[in-house]
Amino acid sequence: VIGSGDTSLQAAGELLLLLPERGVFWPAAATLFVADTHWGKAAAFRAGGVPLPPGTTLNGLSRLEALVERTRARRLVFLGDFLHAVEGRTPSVLKRLAEWRARHELVDMVLVRGNHDRRAGDPPPEVGIRCVDAPLLEPPFALAHHPPSGQAPYFLAGHLHPGVRLSGPGRQRERLACFWVTPRGVVLPAFGEFTGMADVRAGPGDRVFVAAGGAVVEVQPRAQAR
Amino acid sequence: VSAPLRRVEEWFAERGWSPFAFQREVWEAYRRGESGLIHAATGTGKTLAAWVAPLLEWLEENPRAAAATGKARRDRSPALRVLWITPLRALAADTLEAMRLPVERLGIPWSLEARTGDTPEAVKARQRRRLPTTLVTTPESLSLLLSRGDVGELFGDLRLVVVDEWHELMGTKRGVQTELALARVRALRPTVRTWGLSATIGNLDEALVTLLGAARPDGARIVRGVEPKRVIVDSLIPPEVERFPWAGHLGTQMLPQVLDAIEEGESAIVFTNTRSQTEIWYQAILAARPDWAGLIALHHGSLERKTRDWVEQGLREGRLRCVVATSSLDLGVDFSPVDRVLQIGSPKGVARLLQRAGRSGHRPGAMSRVTCVPTHVLELIEVAAVRDGIAAGAVESRTPVERPLDVLVQHLITAALGGGFVAEELLREVRGTRAFAGLRDDEWQWALEFVTSGGAALQAYPEYARVVERGGRYVVENAEIARRHRMSIGTIVADAHIAVQYLRGPRLGTVEESFIARMRPGDRFVFSGKPLEFVRVRDMKAWVRKARSTNGSIPRWMGSRLPLSGELAAALRRRLGEASRGDFRDPEMEAVRPILQVQASWSAIPTEHQLLIERVQSREGHHLYFFPFEGRLVHEGLAALFAYRISRLRPISFTMASNDYGLELLSPDAAPLEDALRAGLLAPSNLLDDVPASLNATEMARRQFREIARVSGLVFPGLPNAGKSARQLQASSGLIFDVFVRYDPDNPLVSQAHREVLERQLESSRLGRTLERLARADVVITTPRRTPPLAFPLLVDRTREKVSSEGLGDRVRRMQLALEREAG
Repeated sequence: VIGSGDTSLQAAGELLLLLPERGVFWPAAATLFVADTHWGKAAAFRAGGVPLPPGTTLNGLSRLEALVERTRARRLVFLGDFLHAVEGRTPSVLKRLAEWRARHELVDMVLVRGNHDRRAGDPPPEVGIRCVDAPLLEPPFALAHHPPSGQAPYFLAGHLHPGVRLSGPGRQRERLACFWVTPRGVVLPAFGEFTGMADVRAGPGDRVFVAAGGAVVEVQPRAQAR
Repeated sequence: VSAPLRRVEEWFAERGWSPFAFQREVWEAYRRGESGLIHAATGTGKTLAAWVAPLLEWLEENPRAAAATGKARRDRSPALRVLWITPLRALAADTLEAMRLPVERLGIPWSLEARTGDTPEAVKARQRRRLPTTLVTTPESLSLLLSRGDVGELFGDLRLVVVDEWHELMGTKRGVQTELALARVRALRPTVRTWGLSATIGNLDEALVTLLGAARPDGARIVRGVEPKRVIVDSLIPPEVERFPWAGHLGTQMLPQVLDAIEEGESAIVFTNTRSQTEIWYQAILAARPDWAGLIALHHGSLERKTRDWVEQGLREGRLRCVVATSSLDLGVDFSPVDRVLQIGSPKGVARLLQRAGRSGHRPGAMSRVTCVPTHVLELIEVAAVRDGIAAGAVESRTPVERPLDVLVQHLITAALGGGFVAEELLREVRGTRAFAGLRDDEWQWALEFVTSGGAALQAYPEYARVVERGGRYVVENAEIARRHRMSIGTIVADAHIAVQYLRGPRLGTVEESFIARMRPGDRFVFSGKPLEFVRVRDMKAWVRKARSTNGSIPRWMGSRLPLSGELAAALRRRLGEASRGDFRDPEMEAVRPILQVQASWSAIPTEHQLLIERVQSREGHHLYFFPFEGRLVHEGLAALFAYRISRLRPISFTMASNDYGLELLSPDAAPLEDALRAGLLAPSNLLDDVPASLNATEMARRQFREIARVSGLVFPGLPNAGKSARQLQASSGLIFDVFVRYDPDNPLVSQAHREVLERQLESSRLGRTLERLARADVVITTPRRTPPLAFPLLVDRTREKVSSEGLGDRVRRMQLALEREAG
């Protein structure tokens, strides 16, 4: 199951794989996690009078399809912000979702609702995705959209669209989406491609993994020059 | 002499003047129905040349009514006759003031008002019911008028459109917006005359054609105003150049000399090149002369209108000893008491320095004088070069913008709102402008589809439609789209700005959102001359409180890094050539001599016929410095091109920096320079393939797309009262660009982004000419052990582009999280 670009992570006594496709796989439970898909975002823009070309949702769904097939996941958990906006629930977006779902009948799918889902609404019942409020407890993990505060069980969450800025020799710089691994849980990068990033500030004890060129690479904080 | 003309002459005589010949020429030409362009130095009567013409016309048409005196009642004043377009909101009030004098004195019952983004809502409401006889407005506000359904009636008696400071507008997209608006006005009112006012520029003929459109409706002429005053350019020369850090910027080390210079005169303007420099120098002067508090002020475009008004008034009345300013004071009415002008930092161009010099010496017999203050020792060479440029009359041209489809898209929606349009008619009108004379049928078709169906790629999305066709006319039916369009018409100039306001107190002005985005609560910064502490962002405002200390960052504004003009760059190369032969004429060259001698002994001083390349190895990696001396924009293009050409020889990653003198390619491993030179690194051939490919390798087009996205309505400024649904339609232009590149790469707006980078940012014709020059040049490669003086400013430059032919994963493996402070 492990791809050459995957990186393993011990979390709450379990083995997790951080995937370069911007998902997390939990082999013991054959479960795949993705966060912040924002399906239908470009369609919502079009409905609002902003002409964007179609293709983002369709392409995102095929990326997810490839990921489900590669990991042979039996279960897929969406960590919130499944649909972007109620204006993006266009017939074509819903049709593509339904067709995609039909190709993965045997995969159990759950959505842990996030802030966008409250206004955009749950996916229609015929898509067949169970929708629950956060947190969804799956010992040893708490699954949520917004990273929970306080001493919750080890969380897997999204919402932040985490990204980091990197620098290297010859003044090289990059800004990339990342997995933000803290002692309390993991924040996943946004899966949807038409989504932005917010820089995170990794504190002591945090680890940062970026998805770059087909591999998940851990990056180190630079030693404080002084 | 007609009776009206006699009355005008009497009014001139009362003021101790008599009309100039060029003013009479304009009045006579206007009377015959002609349009044209007037060029003259500031403060030589351009405004009256254009303004008196329609007044004379009215006096002739209304010989009896003209006998009345006193202010007319607005509701009984004649309908709109004169539209006066000004590029800066800030100029509207001053212009209005100057125009009012003759109207009142001649007893003409006209109403005169301004309409800009600053106009109070009550006045706007009044103007919605009825326009004044003369309206002073900006290009954006004119477009807003054109989006009104009753625009045809509004312009029913329009006689004259004046475009003030046309040279400022015409090289920009706002200039194109003005061209399109003028075409619309002429279509609605064919007899209207158009007069432009301009400073002297290198391409006045082109300026005239751009103003009037290719068709030139009537006779058209260029009227030359009064000869400019003699201009003296001198410098404050650091006393001991050797002791100054030639490596870096002088900062405010020249402060004592600057203070002396200010004290020599009654009233001084200290010009800087950026808004942040304005803040820095204001602070420095105030700290050195605390007793000048209240007598010195600062002025830049981001400050609150009221502050700027106070400063301008103070200059006019001679109340202020010194004002530190950016280009916000380049234009506009005169500040007669000003007798000293200082320029901090590079003059950047011949015309620009002349314009600034012209702010002084308005007293009879006075000469204009500008004193340059170097912020970097090498800038002294530029001062010597600019003097050569003035002597040779090498005044820069303003290149008009070609076919910006984003502006066209915006205009189509404006026209659809303003009573609707018939496609063929509007096409004819649009092609009548200089900017769109070469508009291709497929481009027009695309623009029309873009506003109706969203473009060919979007036909599957019937839910999208901004403009609809009803019985052969294109109109806007959706009120929300109309509202959003009207809100975004004014955004061509402005990047996302955010207001700065005290928690309990007034607004101070605006800064770019990107600056505030890097702030954390408690961070300090200096703005409007005041030390501030950032508290939070809420309701589209940055809330601040007073900070006790002044140490803090100064906001950096974008778009403030003006490149060296081609004219000045050529003069600079000649001066360096002279220096390489041991000729150091003029005090500035004498002063930099020790530093140029260091350059010569560590590396070389290039002559006009050489290209100097320096290779330096440092802790950071391997540096290649190239010195074409062509201005920063051309160097950015060359840097991308050189990096791309070298990276095709083997996998390598570069970061690049550019300034007005040269460019740097920095790589972790040594670059194969000699191989690359043999393989045609400098060759002007294959440019059509190599330049776009090298652009794709950088993020330049993606950045250029910001403006295109805003103008064409792909992104719009945050609406103050927008609910959640509007917020969910906000995405950065960068994300939108990525979506287009991936899913609709042939979209004309994407091609436009590339074209704009090529033509406007990189000045591609200049890029091609530069390569032809470099290909003929003798290449001199030196390998200094330490970074020589010419290269040092590049070494410390922190803004960098990148080009890489390595895989991202390979590159990232060598990287680390950036330090927090670098994150901006």
